[in-house]
Amino acid sequence: MSAEENPAAEPAPVIDVQGDGRWMSQHNRFVQECKDAEPDVLFVGDSMVQLMQQYEVWRELFSPLHALNFGVGGDTTCNVLWRLQNGELDNIRPRVVVLWVGTNNHEHTADQVAGGILAIVQLLLSRLPKCKIIVLGLLPRGEFPNPLREKNAAVNNLLRTSLPQLGPVQLIDVGGGFVHSDGTISSRDMFDFLHLTASAYRTISTSLHELLLQLLEETPQERRASLV
Amino acid sequence: YENRVVIAFLYVLILQHNRFVSDSKGKEPDVLFVGDSLVQLLHEFEVWRKLFSPLHALNFGVGGDATQHVLWRLVNGELDHISPKVVVLWVGTNNHGHTPEQICGGIMAIINVIHQKLPHAHTLVLGLLPRGKSPNPLRERNASVNALVQAEVASLSHVSFLDMDPGFILSDGSIAHQDMYDYLHLTPQAYQKVCQPLHERIKSLLDKHAP
Repeated sequence: MSAEENPAAEPAPVIDVQGDGRWMSQHNRFVQECKDAEPDVLFVGDSMVQLMQQYEVWRELFSPLHALNFGVGGDTTCNVLWRLQNGELDNIRPRVVVLWVGTNNHEHTADQVAGGILAIVQLLLSRLPKCKIIVLGLLPRGEFPNPLREKNAAVNNLLRTSLPQLGPVQLIDVGGGFVHSDGTISSRDMFDFLHLTASAYRTISTSLHELLLQLLEETPQERRASLV
Repeated sequence: YENRVVIAFLYVLILQHNRFVSDSKGKEPDVLFVGDSLVQLLHEFEVWRKLFSPLHALNFGVGGDATQHVLWRLVNGELDHISPKVVVLWVGTNNHGHTPEQICGGIMAIINVIHQKLPHAHTLVLGLLPRGKSPNPLRERNASVNALVQAEVASLSHVSFLDMDPGFILSDGSIAHQDMYDYLHLTPQAYQKVCQPLHERIKSLLDKHAP
């Protein structure tokens, strides 16, 4: 699906309706961070990414990997696409990008959301040719079974096979284990049945951290090539 | 599009409300925190376990709530079956489109409901924080709300007001992302700053309440 056909692949900033311009302030801060920092890992996405940085697990597992966090609460694929096209990839050459976005795309179908994520991945690959990409699967949400769980699972299914075809890209599904046998999600894992608690972040971070360590380990040839 | 967003939002709200209602059965909190995401997120950081769990506190914060949502929740079960000595109320920053007078009115309506349902409880209203990276109309709005609420509760013996701002606005008018990571929500270190005086105030209210 091209951008003309897929609204989820159309870059768009968040318009300030509340009156304090916070979205643009966050974007501008990230653009400035690109001038100052030399991250090896870039996390980008919505509140699932943003909130991770507020918990201990970020300091323990991801800061040491020289990771930057460009998560903004509420972002859709359109917003992330706009941010990445408007400065948040300038002057940096991360070796791995972790992308986690799509759960806020309320006006789009699963097909469109998957297409939006693919568009972001294509942008990353074109801007950062030596980069490896991890796309985190959308988590189930809501206390009980509901249409958004099905939609998020459908997005993940669409991405599972299509992502690796684009390059060094993989889908990691960290959502297993959140839905109990009775179909419920616990508030001990998602305090509002959407956002993760500290302990849930810890659970998903272990495998993500291990994968990052693997991907960051590279041959001397790859290291020389990436410095060019 | 907006309808779908509203429906998704209401769905999550209703589920959280139901959980809080069932939470209040069988628990005997001395302190009840109620409000928006500033209350809700407080529960997720270490500061809650250290300062407020020992006071037997329950947390009924819901992200995105404005005064009318909190009012609805309290009228519809979240104050039933419990008798906290102190209710901590922190809401108002999400009342977009409302004037300071209207927001103050909403806060007073909540205070009245609490007093009706829990005649022996003391309500501690927390001041709205400044927000946004740079000076903006919402900072003025929130400051006006605080002034209005402070004046209204001055004559009420069962209510008091606590200013929660330890000085977040720097000399150049900006708020640091080390305090508010999105220029609205508090980082764990900012929660430490605001919660010390809050903890002290709640403890002194609980001491007064004791026979």
